[in-house]
Order: sequence, then structure tokens, then C-alpha cells
Amino acid sequence: MSHGVRRVLQNKEALEAKKLKDQSKIRDYITLTSDVLNRKKQNDWSSQAFQLTTELLQVNPEFYTIWNYRRRILLNGIIPQSTPEQIRDILAEELSMTMAALKVHPKVYWIWNHRGWCLDNVPSGPGTEQEGDPRGWEKGFWDRELFVVEKMLDADPRNFHAWSYRRIVLANMPIPKPLTAELAYTTRKIEANFSNFSAWHQRSKVLSSLWSKGELDSNKSKEEGASGILYHEYISNSSLKEFDLVHNAMYTDPYDQSVWIYHRWLIGSGDDKDILEREIEVIQSLLEEESGSKWCMESLVHYKRLLLSNHASTTDTSTLKRDCMGLLRRLLEVDPSRRARYEEIELEIARL
Amino acid sequence: MSFELNSLLVSLHVTYIQNLGKNKDDLTYHLTAHLRMNAIYWGLTALCTMNHREALDRNEMIEYVMSCWDEETGGFGAHPDHDAHILSTLSAIQILITQDAIDILDIDRVAKFILSLQQPSGVFAGDSFGEVDTRFSYIAVNALSLLGRLGDLDVEKTVAYIVQCRNFDGGFGSRIGAESHASQAFVCCAALTILDRLDEVDAPTLSWWLAERQLPNGGLNGRPEKLEDVCYSFWVLASLSMLKKVHYIDSGKLTSFILSAQDPEGGGIADRPGDMPDVFHTHFGLAGLSILGYPGLVDLDPVYCMPAALIEKMGLRKGWQALERRAS
Repeated sequence: MSHGVRRVLQNKEALEAKKLKDQSKIRDYITLTSDVLNRKKQNDWSSQAFQLTTELLQVNPEFYTIWNYRRRILLNGIIPQSTPEQIRDILAEELSMTMAALKVHPKVYWIWNHRGWCLDNVPSGPGTEQEGDPRGWEKGFWDRELFVVEKMLDADPRNFHAWSYRRIVLANMPIPKPLTAELAYTTRKIEANFSNFSAWHQRSKVLSSLWSKGELDSNKSKEEGASGILYHEYISNSSLKEFDLVHNAMYTDPYDQSVWIYHRWLIGSGDDKDILEREIEVIQSLLEEESGSKWCMESLVHYKRLLLSNHASTTDTSTLKRDCMGLLRRLLEVDPSRRARYEEIELEIARL
Repeated sequence: MSFELNSLLVSLHVTYIQNLGKNKDDLTYHLTAHLRMNAIYWGLTALCTMNHREALDRNEMIEYVMSCWDEETGGFGAHPDHDAHILSTLSAIQILITQDAIDILDIDRVAKFILSLQQPSGVFAGDSFGEVDTRFSYIAVNALSLLGRLGDLDVEKTVAYIVQCRNFDGGFGSRIGAESHASQAFVCCAALTILDRLDEVDAPTLSWWLAERQLPNGGLNGRPEKLEDVCYSFWVLASLSMLKKVHYIDSGKLTSFILSAQDPEGGGIADRPGDMPDVFHTHFGLAGLSILGYPGLVDLDPVYCMPAALIEKMGLRKGWQALERRAS
């Protein structure tokens, strides 16, 4: 699979020259590969074999069988003969080696997997419960890992391997990072670039956890005699702040879909009529400034339909339907590629 | 480019695929050995889509597949002496079925290998080292279904994990908490379709999210605000075909985009116009065109990503809908 590699027209001579140059590389690669695979067949757990896997993986970090073999050498040959301090150093060395590989190949699953495996195998230490801090090394490794993954996300803020790995790190840190710190991280990422949907996504997960934790707190306070209202106030305060951030992003770039998708999450099923109407008003005034904004119109249709389906008895349904139909007509003009979907929605509204 | 790429260069693509195994003086050929089994499946299926199944030698192919059998684990590696992995195991099964040679396989052992990879959470690992991903859940479901062994699967547990990967945008992630991605939407929809549990999908929201993958140049991306890539043609269209909403995509513009990513000199399709072609994008580009009803192509079953007639004959066809095949 190649991605983003430009096709260049090469003349015959250049192609021949490349072939010739490749030939010695191919010979070396085949020799090294068969040497390593033969050792693997013979269960060779020596440090010499280990060294050869390093060489091979530096040429080809996607060779998953060799990563597996490398771990087997560590498990069966090297780790059993090492002190906890040595194991710690060996694993740290593994992490440096994979870091170098990730810089060149940030999207190779196998490299990320190997790092995860290393972290799962950090020995306890230094010392014992009585004298020392048996989870100390582990803490150090995971802290460093969070730092590394942040560096990777600085280089490519949408790398989904890095985001996925970040969630693994957060879930495994011996001293968990507070959710509010992760919320602040997503704020930083979003404010650096509103179109970073990966950060918006992460934010939706963090906020959901925070809110469900708030529920736990509110249960606790209920036991102490307070009412559940506290919880709703807490949610609506934090959701108010959330809407501010979202409006800021919408007004900055009304053509970027990230924020609109996130906004849809904040609104959810649209049970709260006040919020729905307030947001419809905000979007409507943005549409007045940006008359061609597809996302304004598309979102207005969606939210007005939520009013129609959830609050029909307390709204002017014929006006809402007429509004939706008008918006859909304009959507057909500004976004003709998705015509079929808009026409289906028109039919659904007509049937109401 | 010297001329408009407005039609499918079938004979060039057939030659391109035939030549893939002859590139042994190219370093890339050797560096991609870990993808060989998948590449053969992609090449074979692409040929089937173009109605040129016979362009690669059947016996040679079956022999190669069986040379990748890992006796110790009961699965297939990507290349002889490579470790067994669920990815190459599914490709091997798909190749053997397409070549009508599945009888050669010890089905009990392979089914056992696949089932052994299910984790307590319900998700599947790729191999014994335990990387988990909803891709592997789909692969397990697909493979067990092809082998007639779905009855051995804990369906509830498998579905329960996939459902937990569903996000508010209707899409699915690779693990619980992960961002939606078009290819993960495909694997989750297809797994649920095979298990007759597509009702677990929020169909209107997912169809909307998938329709929004199309960019002004006609190509599809895999996530919001990312670049287009030919392979998403398949992930997105296949998901939409299971939701019976392929018409949500502007098929004319997408067809032009895929055609423009062909290599008019050497054949093959690239990720986007002007890039180096490869067999992965060639296969998924053709698969996309087939779902869009491109004239002269053969129907592809979007759930299994194999020739539709074959899946139908096995009695495995589900209720998907592609665009009608155009006459010209």
C-alpha cells in the first residue's frame, strides 16, 4: 500500500540504474531475512539473533513476524537472564528504538503495538513496598509515554494511531491523569486548529465521563440531603461554556464540518426545547452573515426537525415545515452532490 | 497527463496485476512480503471484478496459499515462514473459496484458531500478542461465516463489543472510545450485517456522516477534514450499500475521481491522481466502481468483498443494494 507517493516518469537509463542499485540491496535484504527466519525456526533466543532483528526491523518496520520473534527472544532468552534493573534498561532501549522508527513511519500499527507490549512488561521496582517504590519505574515509563504521544500529536494532530495509543496510555497510567487535565488538553488542541475533529471527538468522550462522574457526585449529595438539581445545574453550566467554544469555532470557519458534527452531539436528541430554540437563533444569525453556508442550513434543518418531532404540541409546526422546505431547496442548489439525501428529507417532512 | 482518463483501462489493469509477481528485481516487492497474502486476494478479487479471474494461474496460487500455512497455530501467515495472523488467514480463506479449493483446508483447525483470538471483552485479537481492533472482529465473523462455522461464535459477546465502539456521529472506531473512521464503519456494519444485527446501527446518522465523506473533487475521505483517497470509495460505498443509501453519493463525480487515479502508462490505480498505483488501491477502486454500477464490471458482494455470484451461491447473501449496472 502506498500513500501519497508521486508517480514520476523515469527514462529507461534511470530505471536501469535504479535496478542495478537495488540489486545489491535486495541481495543483502534476502540474506538477512532468511538468516533471521532460520534462527527463528530453530528457537534461537541469543543476543546475536536479537541484534539481527534490530537490523532487519530498521530496514522494514512492517515485518510483523520479526517484531513477534524479537519479543520471543526477550521473553525466552534475554529477560530470564537479567536483573530487574537490566530489564528496565532493555525496555527503555526498545522504546528509543521504536521512537526512531515511529518518526519515519508514524502510521505503522506494529511499531505502536511493540511500545505497548514493552510498557506492559516493565518490572516492579525500584526496591520493595517497605524500602522503595515498586511502581516507580512503571510510573516513569507511562509518564514518559504520555509525553511521547503528545510529541507525535504535535507533529500530526490527526494521527489516529497516536490518539488511540493516547487513550491506552491514559487508561493504564498508575497514577491516572485527572479528566479535567485531558479536557484542557483537547481545548488546547481545538484552539490551535478548529478543524481537528480528533480533538473534538476526544472531548466528547472526556465530557461524557466527567458528566457521568458528576452524576455519581450528585447521588452522593442526594444521600446527604441535597437534591438532584445540583447535577443538572452542573451539566448546564458546563454545557453553556461548551456552547461558547463551539460558537466561537462556528463563527471562525462556518465551512468546517468538525464543529458542526460536535454541535450535533451537544444538542443530542433535542429534548431541551429552550436550548434547541436558542441554538437555532444563533445559527440563523450566522446564516444571515454567511448566506451560502451549507452547514448552517443543514444544521437548521436538523434542529428544526427535532423541534417538529419532539415538541410538536408547543411549536408552530406549519412554519417549521415551511422553513425546512425553504432551506432544503437552497441546499439542493449549494450542495447538489448530496441532492438525493435532501430530496428524501423533503419527502419525509411532507409526510408529517 | 496527455489525455483525459474518462474510461476504465481494463486490459492495462489486468496486465498490471499479472506483472505484480514478476517484480522480483524491485526492492519494494521484497519489502512488502508481509502483505503478500492480502495482495494476492486483492489482485484476484480485482481480476474477478473485471471478469478476468483466469489471468493468474489457479494452481500456482493455491500452492502458494498452502505454503503459508502455519502448522503450529492453525492459521496462515502472509508469506512462507511468517507468523500466522488473522489478516492473512482471512485472505487465504477468501482466495481458496474464490478458487473453489476450500476442501484442501483443515476447516476445524482454522475455525479453532480464529475462535481462540476472541477476548473476554468480545473483541478479537489479530494474533497471540493480542492487538485488538474491530477490524479483527469483522475478519473473524467473515471467515467463520465463509467456513460455515458461525454457529461456534458467541454472537452476543461479539456484537456487544462492536456496539460499544459506536460514536455519536453514527460511525464506529477501532476500539471503545476511538474516533469514527470510514474503514471501521465498514468493518462494523459488515460484521453486524453478517450476524443479522444491523439494527444496532443508527442508520440515519451514519448515512449522513458517510455522505459527508465526499469532497468537492468527487473523492471520499475517511474522516472529517481529511484528504480524499481511492480506497475510501469502497469503505464508504460498501457501508452505504448495506444501509441501502449508495445514492447519497454523487456517483458521477466519484466515478471520475477513481478513473482519474489510474496510471495510464503502466496500469493500476493509485490513492489519488498522479500517485504511484498499487494493488490495494487498484482492488478497492474497482470495487467502488462495481458498487457504482460501472459498465462491464462484475457485481461484488460489499459485505464479504468477494464476487457476488459466489456469495449468493453459498447462500450467504444479505440485503445490500448497489447501484444498477449501467449498459454503457
